[in-house]
Amino acid sequence: MHIDSMDSPSENDGMELYTDQLDPTFVNSRREAVIIFCAWLVALCWCVPFCYLNGYDVADPENISITLGMPSWVVWGIAMPWIAADVFTVWFCFFYMKNDDLGVSPEELAAIAAEGN
Amino acid sequence: MTMQSTELILLAAGSNAALITFLLYTLAVFGIAAFSNQMLKGKSFISEYFLGSRGLGVWAFALTFAATSASGGSFTGFPSKIYSHGWVLALWIGAYVVVPICTMGLLGKRINQVARISGSITVPDVLRDRFESARFGLMAVVLIVFFMVFNLVAQFKAGAMILKTLLSDVEIFHRAAEFFHTVMEPWSFLGTDSEYLICLLAFGIAVIIYTTYGGFHAVVWTDVMQGIVMVVGVLIMLPLAIMMINDLAAKDASSDASGMSYVTQEMSKLVPPVPTEAQLQVNSPAATDRLIATGTWISTESAEGTLRLFRTGNDAEIVAGQQVTAVDAPIKLIELVNASDIKQVLENPSSYTVVRDLQLVGLKQTPYKYGGSPEHKGTYVTGPGPSPDSDIGFLPLSLAFSFFFMWAISGAGQPSSHVRLMAFKNTDTLKKAIFTVAIYYTLIYFPLVMIFCCSRLLMPGMEMESDRIMPAMAVFLTEGVGMGWLAGLLVAAPFAAVMSTVDSFLLMISSAVVRDIYQRNINPYASEAKIKKMTYTVTIIVGTAAMLGAVNPPQFLQDIIVYTGSGLAACFLAPTVFMLYWPRSNKEGCMTGMLCGFAAHFSMYFLGVFTNGSFFKPHRFIDMDPIIVGLFVSFLATYIGCLISPAPPLRLVKKYFYKRKELQRT
Repeated sequence: MHIDSMDSPSENDGMELYTDQLDPTFVNSRREAVIIFCAWLVALCWCVPFCYLNGYDVADPENISITLGMPSWVVWGIAMPWIAADVFTVWFCFFYMKNDDLGVSPEELAAIAAEGN
Repeated sequence: MTMQSTELILLAAGSNAALITFLLYTLAVFGIAAFSNQMLKGKSFISEYFLGSRGLGVWAFALTFAATSASGGSFTGFPSKIYSHGWVLALWIGAYVVVPICTMGLLGKRINQVARISGSITVPDVLRDRFESARFGLMAVVLIVFFMVFNLVAQFKAGAMILKTLLSDVEIFHRAAEFFHTVMEPWSFLGTDSEYLICLLAFGIAVIIYTTYGGFHAVVWTDVMQGIVMVVGVLIMLPLAIMMINDLAAKDASSDASGMSYVTQEMSKLVPPVPTEAQLQVNSPAATDRLIATGTWISTESAEGTLRLFRTGNDAEIVAGQQVTAVDAPIKLIELVNASDIKQVLENPSSYTVVRDLQLVGLKQTPYKYGGSPEHKGTYVTGPGPSPDSDIGFLPLSLAFSFFFMWAISGAGQPSSHVRLMAFKNTDTLKKAIFTVAIYYTLIYFPLVMIFCCSRLLMPGMEMESDRIMPAMAVFLTEGVGMGWLAGLLVAAPFAAVMSTVDSFLLMISSAVVRDIYQRNINPYASEAKIKKMTYTVTIIVGTAAMLGAVNPPQFLQDIIVYTGSGLAACFLAPTVFMLYWPRSNKEGCMTGMLCGFAAHFSMYFLGVFTNGSFFKPHRFIDMDPIIVGLFVSFLATYIGCLISPAPPLRLVKKYFYKRKELQRT
């Protein structure tokens, strides 16, 4: 078994390969993750309270307000946010998210080397 | 055999289409597996077999991600819940507005990069390499195998059950089942349901063969095909459902509404049916044994002379010479109480056969705990939705919050999703795939809510077998518009959903054993030929073991799926987030977080044994789902664990968080 063999590498192995600058892919990914988390929070804070306030304990459900054939609380609490979220996704993916370099894996390097030979 | 209900009659009509669809579908899947196997040649076997050489393009990545996430639950459990609880399911599934961007965008780019830097192929690989800790990798393997094996057994059962429903009226299937029944007799451990067993074997063998033979690419490309089947099925069903509703509305002189407006208006007047137990009685002793099949409609008159309509939920028999069914085995029924539902059944004798010579004795009725009384009209169009066993309704506020966590946040913590996030080609692929999945989910989930709200009016009385509402509705709609042949395509959607989940899980377990245990811990220098042989063997063994586990399947199918899905998230999300985004994170903290997440989540279920009488009725701390407790504890434990243990080696921090000098030069 080789369970412990990886737990004790030399502390400074390969340090000279790196600069003092944070990796831009990491920085961009972290920033984008924060934005996405905020989007989730906004969706949570809109959808659940809105539906609860307008769709629960309705005084006269037989005459419930209808929009586009659905209960209005479903339309404004879920359907419209869904469309808004899709619009946000378009903006996020095509206008905000950075085209970062993801690097080359060892097996990709090997394949490139093999092609070169 | 007398057909007693509309869905059985229609299911019979569409069954040949279902059989042909299943056969064509299986052929296509095998074709894809053969093609994928060809792609393995000339590439690193293990990287290609388990990760597709990190080369997934937009469509493959988007659809495999979407199809794997949409398990059988999306096309069996979800429609069943919409049918049973109404419009509140729009809120239940509401987190899907942000699920694609959360599950793919939160971790996608970074986990792909880290996996490339380390050369990782599996999820335990990433954890192990990121922290250079073999123990962490092994811990992850154990947890993945623990959860996934249970889930796999449950998914096998779901696949077999769906197939059984699809083939339920195919003559050759029944003949095969009868033959199988005689063969099975000496083997009591195989159970008594030969139809289920045939379906399990057909489903299981097909999945095991194509997954084993084709590996990751086979799984991905079958997912693509399955994903297309799912969305096409839904997009055909929606207009058909609205057409049928318009026909219904046209016959209703009391309303001038049509389409979804008619659906919502009528649903606002509905009251859930009344669950009932009774014995069935005939007027004079039966000359021969009389079988009353599941789903039989029974009309009786009350003492006041008003008509009452019931539907049976299980088979019953009145033995020759007797007048009533056995006292010790009361029949489960539901009583329809809405005039519109009763009218729909009674005014369509071609679709619904109603028995009028039976009486109900020893009637015991248990109305829904929430929404069950006539003054509670409108529970199908408002929250929290009707519930037979909870007096706070189906979706109280606390659970609505929980599900927002469950779908979006815990969805981001699924190892099966992480593997796919490690496999896309580049950032551009990720961006386009997030957009594609967002549109895909929009086209599937909201229309499903609309379709199965329609089904409440079109097919009343399905509460006791609501898991069958999807195939039953598919056949009902296509027959209703004279396109019975289309039923095959529509009923393939739930089958495709289960298949796409099973194949992914099977490959994950196999990769955990071959890559993470054998290759990385036991024999790092194993030849490619040996790894290949072992991979095929392990995939077959794991698949066969799960299939055998499903021969006598666990009872709580959906509960197991929920337990394993939320348990995996409680274990994996926090360590993954910290290892990707926090340079101070270390193996001690992340391992602590993983174990604490597991323990907290498990303890909520274990407490359920004492507080609710069953492991699968977990204790809900302040009415929250156990996933909230699991995630909270896991994140907190990881954070504290990292802070109180030594800082990670600078070398690792540099490797995963800092720019390489070579990159500067280029």
